[in-house]
Amino acid sequence: MELKEIMKGVELFEGLTDEELEKVISLCKERHYKESDIVAEQNSPGNELFIIQEGFVEVAVAGRAGGASKVIVNLGKGQTVGEMSLVDQGPRSATVRALNTPTIVQVITDNDFENLCEENHRIGYVVLRNIAADLSFRLRQRHLSDIVG
Amino acid sequence: MTVYKVSVVVTKSDHPGAIVNLKEAPEVGKTIELGDNEFVITEVLELMPPRGEFHFLHVTCVPKELHE
Repeated sequence: MELKEIMKGVELFEGLTDEELEKVISLCKERHYKESDIVAEQNSPGNELFIIQEGFVEVAVAGRAGGASKVIVNLGKGQTVGEMSLVDQGPRSATVRALNTPTIVQVITDNDFENLCEENHRIGYVVLRNIAADLSFRLRQRHLSDIVG
Repeated sequence: MTVYKVSVVVTKSDHPGAIVNLKEAPEVGKTIELGDNEFVITEVLELMPPRGEFHFLHVTCVPKELHE
């Protein structure tokens, strides 16, 4: 499937025109991972946004004082990882590991994304609004997960 | 292109749950695949109102082998 069609299925880019989406796609770099490869490590500097194109990743958070880590959720095609760092420039909040071979992701650096937003404020507004909605979705998901768990 | 963004919580299992995009709306009694595992849906809720082509749902499910 063409990358543009895949990106149309990513919530982060909902509301962008075809032309705006092409600009975002021009920033993407494809990366392939094998099962168990680490995509992002908790507490490391975060300067990339990952969009899962194929496969699943698991998101795990280590306990305090080096305690055992716990997998909190698996993310599949069309989901994103690293948007918190894009917003707050903080370190990675979790470790993300590939669950399949191959796991294919599209990567956008925060510098490239910020430059695009400076150049085109509407893209910045739409994507940041969608990031906020995605974080809200995940918070609601966690609440329901905690109730069931 | 309608996309169903679905939060999945699994009961009767230590599976951590998942967030996935589906092309078809999940329904109670139907199955959902997460990697190599198959689950039966027992509950479907709307998590947030739809936006554009995206619908935001939450499903609860159980491993297929444990479904009664």
